[in-house]
Amino acid sequence: MILLRLISWPYMRKHLLRSVLTTAGIVLGVALLVGMQTANRSVLSAFNQTVERIAGKAQLQVSAGDPGFGEEILERVQSLPGIRAAAPVIEAEADPGFPGQGKLLILAVDMTGDRSLRDYEFDNGDQDVIDDPLIFLAQPDSIILTREFAARNHIVSGSKITFDTMQGRKQFTVRGILKAGGMAQAFGGNLGIMDIYAAQSVFGRGRHFDRIDIGLNEGVTLEQGEAALRKLLGPGFTVEPPSGRGRHFESLLGVYTLAMTVSSVFALFIGMFIIYNSFAIAVTQRRGEIGILRALGATRRQVRVLFLAESAIAGLIGSCAGAGLGLIFARTLTGVSADMLESMFGVAQNVQQVVIDRAFLFFAVVLGTGTSMLAALIPARNAARVEPIQALQKGRYQVLGAGENRLRRNLALCAAALSLACLPLSANRVFFFAGFLLTLLAALLLTPFLALELTRLLRRPLKWLRPVEGALAADSLLQAPRRTSATVAALMLSLALVIGQGGVARASLSSIEEWMNNSLNPDLFVSTTENIASHGVRFPASMQQELENVEGIAEVQAARLPRIDFHGYPVMLVSIQMESVGRRIKRHMVAGDEATMNRLAAQGKGVIFSENLAALVKMKLGDMVDLPATTGTMQLPIVGIVRDLSNQMGTIFIDRQVYIRYFQDDTVDVFRIYLKPNISPETTRGRIVDRMGNGRRMFVLLNRDLRDYISRVMEQWFGLTYVQVIVAMLVAILGIVNTLTVSISDRRRELGVLRAVGGLRWQIRRSVWLEAAAIGIIGLVLGVATGAVLLYYELQAIQHDISGMPFAYEFPWGIALLLLPVILAAALGASIFPAERAVRGSLVEALEYE
Amino acid sequence: MISLRAVTKLYQGKRQIAALQGVDLEIARGEMVSIVGPSGSGKSTLLNLIGGLDRATSGEIRIDGQALTALSDDDLTRLRRDKIGFIFQFFNLLPSLTCVENVALPLHLKGLPRQEIDTRARSLLEMVQLGQRLDHLPDELSGGERQRVAIARALAFSPPVLLADEPTGNLDTHTGADILALIRDLHQRLNSTVLIVTHDASVAESCQRTVTLRDSRIVGDVRR
Repeated sequence: MILLRLISWPYMRKHLLRSVLTTAGIVLGVALLVGMQTANRSVLSAFNQTVERIAGKAQLQVSAGDPGFGEEILERVQSLPGIRAAAPVIEAEADPGFPGQGKLLILAVDMTGDRSLRDYEFDNGDQDVIDDPLIFLAQPDSIILTREFAARNHIVSGSKITFDTMQGRKQFTVRGILKAGGMAQAFGGNLGIMDIYAAQSVFGRGRHFDRIDIGLNEGVTLEQGEAALRKLLGPGFTVEPPSGRGRHFESLLGVYTLAMTVSSVFALFIGMFIIYNSFAIAVTQRRGEIGILRALGATRRQVRVLFLAESAIAGLIGSCAGAGLGLIFARTLTGVSADMLESMFGVAQNVQQVVIDRAFLFFAVVLGTGTSMLAALIPARNAARVEPIQALQKGRYQVLGAGENRLRRNLALCAAALSLACLPLSANRVFFFAGFLLTLLAALLLTPFLALELTRLLRRPLKWLRPVEGALAADSLLQAPRRTSATVAALMLSLALVIGQGGVARASLSSIEEWMNNSLNPDLFVSTTENIASHGVRFPASMQQELENVEGIAEVQAARLPRIDFHGYPVMLVSIQMESVGRRIKRHMVAGDEATMNRLAAQGKGVIFSENLAALVKMKLGDMVDLPATTGTMQLPIVGIVRDLSNQMGTIFIDRQVYIRYFQDDTVDVFRIYLKPNISPETTRGRIVDRMGNGRRMFVLLNRDLRDYISRVMEQWFGLTYVQVIVAMLVAILGIVNTLTVSISDRRRELGVLRAVGGLRWQIRRSVWLEAAAIGIIGLVLGVATGAVLLYYELQAIQHDISGMPFAYEFPWGIALLLLPVILAAALGASIFPAERAVRGSLVEALEYE
Repeated sequence: MISLRAVTKLYQGKRQIAALQGVDLEIARGEMVSIVGPSGSGKSTLLNLIGGLDRATSGEIRIDGQALTALSDDDLTRLRRDKIGFIFQFFNLLPSLTCVENVALPLHLKGLPRQEIDTRARSLLEMVQLGQRLDHLPDELSGGERQRVAIARALAFSPPVLLADEPTGNLDTHTGADILALIRDLHQRLNSTVLIVTHDASVAESCQRTVTLRDSRIVGDVRR
């Protein structure tokens, strides 16, 4: 402790800027991790709170995924012994059109029996609505709102609100205002209660319910109730406590959460190099100090502990600041995440507050501090190895020893060889990830050597460009590889991340483009929502005939796109007229013969799997698929595997008639419309809206509208990951500032000589700029090379471990080329402050500086 | 050639320290002057002020009729480059550059054509008898040879003023004598004004004039 006060504290104070820059790497890494995770947790927590609040006293919930189930199931459940209460529920979102207030979550219940599971506490005078449920039954335009929502929008009992329904824009009368607290807090207070039978027609559910909430008799355990219900209903139904819905939502977000976590950890990893760099430099610069300490009797262990303690303090301060900054990030990110998840998965969110998980914050601080200490481990060891006699001699110690260089190179070659050896074994995921880590290790170990060689190559063009400034800039890097290599490594990693993410984006977009060209070829799409991912409101099957009668329409395909649980994955089940699809779409076949596949699927003799799902669940052509449905398990073989990108976690295509038979659900999410030749889509859209739009909630999208929508969702998706890439780049740029600041300090005398013999300020500045540009170029070259390899591993991981999407490897040349001016500009930006420091200050002191 | 009027240099710290106080000095063109005095008397400060490496707190310094006080930092740098040559005790060569590159440094900084720079740098090194060491790095040279390279660099523009701060202080006696002989030779051949800060009595005595400083003031000025 005394050493920290006497030795470390004065050093940190003297090099305050460097200390701040060192810590900034950890600050940003931890901030990103905390920001992303807190935003995710807030979204998840808001969902769970909504589920919990509207579940009331329900102990179990019976559901059948998106398809829902027929009313007759209710009677069967109610007749089961041990069931105290069974209340049917429909949930849907509605937009009442209050600016900035978001959507309403409509909870549709049967008021006659629902009070046994949920408490309805009303404002004074509204109690009648619940005491006499017939008010609800008799008046299907009734709705109950929460006090919070009502107050925000100046609504009182008897007010009217409107929203789009299957019968067009419809007016509802507010019959009661729920008191604040309990259920009224669900969905951020944006909750509306309706009669379930009214909701069936309002939201186009036919005679279906979404789920049944169950209360058990006293003495019946959850396990017993669950087992009895499973036995009664069969495998097509899910029976679980309300908390299970949170788990499903979490699994839906799996890919998203993974992507966020990986990038955050990567940013922290890059921050680690900045810390390493700073400590490696500090050890080099403080050799004299260490020598004196050792000469005075400090043990090696004391020196090592001193440096580790410094790193722990820097890490702790940085992590705490990062955690605070992360919570500020989270406030912005929560809204962005919620919007993106709604447009991607159709699950509306109303996140009112950022949920602070103290345990996670503690974990992030420990992780940040640990990362800092890990980064300082090697410099601390090197400090402890300093011999007092050598340390007290003046001289340069920046040069990497030939032995050290050789050792690194040999280790790197071993790692590279082992990683290559892992390639043919990569079907085993342990070997695959080991190969990836070994490649990364090889790249990192080779960085000092490659950076040195690239600097040697750069010296000539730099010297040619500016004989003095260029040569000095290159020499500065050559003389102090320790000072530069960790920064180059940090830059390399962040640029590799850019190339990797850019490559994945490019591969995704090209695959999606190909898929849209192949599969999304209808001229028009008719959907119940502007957001086609949401299936809360559905069309009746009868609408197909009406659409077919519209002038100019050649063919209409009715599609129902429920999400179901298949082997633990939230899979999209596309039920559509397969015969028509077979005629209209040219599939990208992965396995099977297209004609046979179309024939068998149209005859209801098989299902078609998307390539990613087949990869995820490891199924192949001909395998039998057991698909649990509400009327029993559907058993059909896979008759074809196609490339399809409708859903991140895979898609199963079945004929619509088979779906209706097994799921007893003939509602429709989307109508795909093909026009007769030379018919204008815009005109036909007008005809559809004129003829059918008045009576129901309906959105008619042109082909390009849907494509634009998909592109927007993709941009949102990649937009969030780009935020992380930017932070990673920022951390790396901090590294450049750090390195240059140290470089200026190391070269103080050299720069002083340059000024003494006639170097003008702008010539000195140019030397620093060129040094920064050289670091940028070296980082770019190595980053692009590492990124090319990283991209391969990312695409493989996506295909085999995350979503099963088989994206083709395409190097993002555009991004790589774009990075050149970006990195040069960033490096030059990073060099402005150090360059100014280089030209300021006393020339006399600089010349006397040792 | 060099004129100082009431020059004072104060350093501000926790307490104010006067490095030079009210110094008046005139040095004519072509003179070779030694500046002597005990440590801390202000010798190096005087040299730094004349060389434009530092600025006086008050008073006026003129080099070849040009007042340094009025010059901007860049103009001061240009004056240093074109009219003043420096020879440092610790040579101050850039270790990564070869001899010829070190000598060429100020020529490049002025932006002369490459061919001219190369020719001039080589002839300067030959003048200081290092024609055979053109492409050597400073680390590969002896102390005396390094100082010769520094002298060649100082002569890059044949400056009218040559300032040397303990030029032999880091050399053995024999090499120091060689370097001093070289400076004297150059002084005679180029007719430049030479100021040498030294602790070495023999070096001081070899100059035409010796200025003695003590406690930040000139206390002696002897001409031979």
